[in-house]
Amino acid sequence: MNDFLNQVRLVGDWLTSSQQWHGDDGIPHRLAEHLTYSGVSLLFAALIGLAFGLLVGHTGRGAFAVASVANLARAIPTFGLVVLVVTLAGLSTTPVLVALVALAIPPILINTFEGVRGVDPVTRDAARGVGMTEWEVLIRVEVPMSLPLILLGLRIAAIQVVATATVAAYPGLGGLGRFIVDGLSRNDYQLVIGGSAVVVLLALVVQIVFTALRRVVVSPGLRVSASRS
Amino acid sequence: MSDGEPLVRWQWIGDHAGELADYTGVHLRLGLLPVLFGLIVSVPLGIACHRWRWLYAPVLTVTNILYSIPSLALFMIFVRYTGLTERTVMIPLTLYTLSVLVPNVVDGLASVPEPVRQAATALGFGPVRRVVQVELPIAVPVVIAGVRVAAVSSISLVAVGQLIGQGGLGYYITRGLQLDFPTPIVTAIVLIMLLALTTDALLVLAQRLLTPWSRNKVTSS
Amino acid sequence: MIRFNAVSKSYPNGTTAVDDLSLELAEGGITVLVGPSGCGKTTTLRMINRMVEPTSGTVSLRGRDIREVHAPELRRGIGYVIQHAGLFPHRTILDNIATVPLLLGWSRKKARARAAELLELVGLPEEMAKRYPNQLSGGQQQRVGVARALGADPPVLLMDEPFSAVDPIVRAELQAEFIRLQKELHKTIVFVTHDIDEAIKLGDNIAVFRTGGKLAQFDTPEQLLAHPADDFVAGFVGQDRGIRRLSFVKAGEVPLRDGPVLTATTPVAQARAAAEAWLLVVDDGRRPLGWAPAAELPASGTLADASLVPLGHTFSLVGDSARAALDSALLSPARLAVGVDADGAVVGVADAQELSAVAAAEVGEPAANAEKADGDDR
Repeated sequence: MNDFLNQVRLVGDWLTSSQQWHGDDGIPHRLAEHLTYSGVSLLFAALIGLAFGLLVGHTGRGAFAVASVANLARAIPTFGLVVLVVTLAGLSTTPVLVALVALAIPPILINTFEGVRGVDPVTRDAARGVGMTEWEVLIRVEVPMSLPLILLGLRIAAIQVVATATVAAYPGLGGLGRFIVDGLSRNDYQLVIGGSAVVVLLALVVQIVFTALRRVVVSPGLRVSASRS
Repeated sequence: MSDGEPLVRWQWIGDHAGELADYTGVHLRLGLLPVLFGLIVSVPLGIACHRWRWLYAPVLTVTNILYSIPSLALFMIFVRYTGLTERTVMIPLTLYTLSVLVPNVVDGLASVPEPVRQAATALGFGPVRRVVQVELPIAVPVVIAGVRVAAVSSISLVAVGQLIGQGGLGYYITRGLQLDFPTPIVTAIVLIMLLALTTDALLVLAQRLLTPWSRNKVTSS
Repeated sequence: MIRFNAVSKSYPNGTTAVDDLSLELAEGGITVLVGPSGCGKTTTLRMINRMVEPTSGTVSLRGRDIREVHAPELRRGIGYVIQHAGLFPHRTILDNIATVPLLLGWSRKKARARAAELLELVGLPEEMAKRYPNQLSGGQQQRVGVARALGADPPVLLMDEPFSAVDPIVRAELQAEFIRLQKELHKTIVFVTHDIDEAIKLGDNIAVFRTGGKLAQFDTPEQLLAHPADDFVAGFVGQDRGIRRLSFVKAGEVPLRDGPVLTATTPVAQARAAAEAWLLVVDDGRRPLGWAPAAELPASGTLADASLVPLGHTFSLVGDSARAALDSALLSPARLAVGVDADGAVVGVADAQELSAVAAAEVGEPAANAEKADGDDR
């Protein structure tokens, strides 16, 4: 317990020392890098994953392919993929971002697909029966009803992207992982644990953002049936 | 990477077959023991959450937060206490499995039809025997679906442990980067995926053997 | 108004859901499509709003081939109620009901005002408006389903087993409510059910389908019960259709005879002179007191001194059907049904024989023939 307090003090000292807040090696810059990597790749992954997930979920065509892709993607070691991309394409941001997008698509795709496919056929039938066009069925009924699962997919993708962006510091990219990787190579434990603390804080913020998002966008009428937060 | 270097040099793989096999064994241990530990924690925790519903929301919040912490950061937090050992990799991986296993145990128990539960009580099963002999077996398909997800994720995550020197096949990923030589990296990725998918297939098989009554039913993963 | 012209529907796997159906449904009434499962009744219903497209033949609505109308547009003009209501769980009750007006481009305010009106019409309290479907009971959800279908005040309403998923008590309530609504709204309603009792209770006309998608008979409930077209229809409407038929004869149309009706003040000697086995004793207002068996009359005094056997029950000439009259006859110790007027005063009596004769005459055949037809069926 004493040691834990020591660690907290170590992190506190590191966070409050002014040199962490300036320059290319400062927290603001690293955080901005990290958020850019994560945000950009999540955005593209969401566009692609949602589009295909909604399409396959609505039409029911390609369901088997979606399930297989999701299963296969879970097995890919993200660390290995990022390192391979750097080895093959050299140390630049874009190829790594492409890899991050590729890794973030499957959870969004499979959850969106399952959300739409899981809409009660009776409800879908009723939507058509009252005179909704296919587009209206999708936008006014299937999407709002799938929101709990769509958000779950986005959250898993965000967690994965944030984690993989951390690891991407190892082959030489920026982001918050730099503190940990540099600290390890310099045997600077304060840098390692300080960097880890910032990464944990970012993860908590992601978690809070998605919890809040869920409160705001998911209809109260669906809360009872959606068990996983 | 130098121009003209192929993605895979088969020669290298042949030369390192024995060593690759050793690292594969280590990788399996690092990936699968956490799933076993996770299961040992999740089953009683899941039963408790099923029994006392108010417990479920806070437990879920904690497991979700743990799951959201990047593995690299979590490894670093444990290095202080467990050093650069295999335990430092396995403890965080165990914690990650909880976010999948606990909900699946709870959902699995919830999938037990109420008439079955009542019939078991009426036949004279006590609460503990009822859970162990009736409810858990019925929950097996849903629990195994969770174990499959946890095992596959765990096996693919082990590689990150290489940053503290304990990554199983992850060794070849850092080695390849240092040597600017893609063959070990590709080999490691392919082997890790094969391990994950084979484990997945074996779990499907195990479920069929464990629950012969559900053989004709489709279980979702 | 709705016309099926040689309509068939078959599926690629070879099953035929509807086989060469020609049918014309009149405006402003309830037509019930009834039959065992797999008889094509739901498919037939769903072809009216193009939820199912026929393989051949045409369906027309008010003289216009429905294929000329864009399907979603057609459906917005036809109310559609389904078995489990199919409410949108993510929308409040009010917004569920406002669905069609909103699809038609009404302003949110106007659509909600209309929805509030409909909520009241189907008998739900105002405070339900803000709730969500899964906070309502099955019966309440079904009422909301009906309200949603009425959103844009469509002339036609399609109802696919709307009351079959609720318990019998709620179902009876919903049916009664439905009859009340229809009296008010005069919609053209097509109603699918597998329950022949529901069909007879609600339908102005009934189309009986048999397995394989063939129309077996299209008739009024009375005709269906009196003259089933064949063994299948006779079997489907049930063994007790003879009794059920009496439901369509008003008790007021039953010819009554005066019978042995005597006031309680009548002297026993006078009562004996009537030479009847049972005497109906009434009070000063001719309200029935009970039956007195002639064999057990006291030696002297008036009928007030006689021991009376309870009536069973009477039937009202203003509200009841001949079925209630027959029941009254069967339960009476004297085997005579006692008909009373609105004040409860005895008008006359009839026995079971007389009641069945009048029922047979009502549907245009002598009682003897009806019995013979029944005999042939068995």
